Amino acid sequence: MEQLLKLLQDKFPQIDFAAEENLVDDGLLDSVAVLGIIAEIEDAFDVSVTMEYIQPQYFNSVSAMWEMIEELQ
Amino acid sequence: MGYQSFEFLVFTFVTVLLYYLLAKIFGKRVQKWVILAANIVFYVIAGLEYMPFLAATLLVSFFCARIISRIYNRADEQLKQCVDAAEKKQVRAASKKRARACMMIGILIPLAILIVDKYTGFVLSNVNRLLAVIGLKPVTLFKFIVPLGISYYTFMSVSYVLDVYWKRTEAEKNFVFYAAFLSFFPHITQGPIQRYSRFKPQIENGVDYSGKNIVYGCQLMLLGLFKKLIIADRLGIFVSKVYDGYDQYTGLIFVVATVFYAIQIYCDFSGCMDIVGGVAEMMGITLEKNFNHPFFSKTIPEFWRRWHMTMGEWFKDYIFYPLSTSRYMKKTKKWLKGKGWKKAEDLFTTCFPVLVVWCVTGLWHNASWNYFLWGMYFAMVMVLGNVFAGINAKLPVKLGWKTDTFSWRLFQMVRTFIICGIGRVMPRAPGMRAAFEIYKRTFQNVSLDLFFNGDLFKFGLNRYNMTVVLLAIVLLWGIDLMQEKMKIRDELAKQMLPFRWCVSILAVLIILIFGMYGPGYDATAFIYGRY
Repeated sequence: MEQLLKLLQDKFPQIDFAAEENLVDDGLLDSVAVLGIIAEIEDAFDVSVTMEYIQPQYFNSVSAMWEMIEELQ
Repeated sequence: MGYQSFEFLVFTFVTVLLYYLLAKIFGKRVQKWVILAANIVFYVIAGLEYMPFLAATLLVSFFCARIISRIYNRADEQLKQCVDAAEKKQVRAASKKRARACMMIGILIPLAILIVDKYTGFVLSNVNRLLAVIGLKPVTLFKFIVPLGISYYTFMSVSYVLDVYWKRTEAEKNFVFYAAFLSFFPHITQGPIQRYSRFKPQIENGVDYSGKNIVYGCQLMLLGLFKKLIIADRLGIFVSKVYDGYDQYTGLIFVVATVFYAIQIYCDFSGCMDIVGGVAEMMGITLEKNFNHPFFSKTIPEFWRRWHMTMGEWFKDYIFYPLSTSRYMKKTKKWLKGKGWKKAEDLFTTCFPVLVVWCVTGLWHNASWNYFLWGMYFAMVMVLGNVFAGINAKLPVKLGWKTDTFSWRLFQMVRTFIICGIGRVMPRAPGMRAAFEIYKRTFQNVSLDLFFNGDLFKFGLNRYNMTVVLLAIVLLWGIDLMQEKMKIRDELAKQMLPFRWCVSILAVLIILIFGMYGPGYDATAFIYGRY
């Protein structure tokens, strides 16, 4: 999860990923940002994010994203 | 039966009465049948000839989703018996292939009905233009009927089938529930474009009668009628006069008409959403929010997250994401990356899906080049916004502007309003040439005299009507501002009973006295009902 957090902080330094729990619902991440995150996750963790997972609940927090990655692995 | 008509009011109250009365007598399980019966009556009154199209979409999407679900369930059973990974992979691949075929049938048939009904006339007229250019005989022009609400119920059915295919939701086993959802009379003609997974839990176990639901629903309906009958229909007269007779005018009158059109379309569409939301609320069902005070938006993407929200979400979930994460996109990105064209890769990733989404958005609204161009205009605004995002963020800092001030936020809101206003000229103008002529004429003979010499009252709204509409806009703005900060209906509910009654009676009287009726006056149809 540390690797994911670092990856996200590097891409979006203005967002405090460690503290935010509603990244999509609060509008901190828009659809283009989510796409960018998907691309980074696919490259870094060698997974393919399927449509089943492209929903706000999987991108609202770092822990949710990490759970998704673990499921995909 | 327009949502603002007296007939609809009667229809609603009879439905709500039966909804609770029959539930009391036969149990709450009967409520889904009452909804379905009311939907059928509503749709048959609209036009019996529309029914086969709705029925086809309904049956195809329901049974395809059921088959997809069965394929997945069978695959799960088979997976339990598999011994090695290769066998499991084979089972998964085979089930996915079969499910995919069903999904394609489930979405392509409703989409084909939509496309043939809505776009045949447009395509043929353009084919004839091309044939005329190369000197060939034109084909016979014919149009199919466009069933009421086809754009909305088709999208709802497509989202349902795709959600089942992507395992985001379970397929419905009870046809009555699904039919009650897809044909739900408050949302069938103008949305909101709802998701079945959020609708079903609200009716699954029936709804208990609640006085609060009835009162809140009526209040929401009153707000909708206020927006529609007092503001939208009044401004519509002015806007039509200016836009339809555009070749007679020049100067700032187009700016006034375009600002009025923005308010008209907002009051028309959000007014309709309030009316239907109120009807659903009386039945204990909360419709999805379609507007969130869009004129307070500070950027264009924010505006589209606040305006026709369910449409934006639909396009994002079912076109933008699937396209952006498709194999084709990934292959192209990989190829660009391999060439070392990082900039081109970024541009392609962010721009291409946006262009496709806005092209479809434009044509979804209406089969015309005006709407296509309107879609392309917003695509361009979005793409430029993405490309220049960095500069946009740094510029105010470099210029020394304070971005945490009210004046900066106001500037952003006005800027967003103007950009949207420029775009709205295209769909409102009576043709493409007219739109460009209006842009040109806006800058000819510009004079502020218009606001002082009484000329403003020569466009269908006399001094009285202009005063009423301006006061109503101010009142609505106040209500919108309050809604940003509090839940008005909850606050009202805390007040003493006589006060609440006075507010309700006053609201009814305002609508009755200042609504656009009058001898021979026919309330205008809702603008979004055409889509």
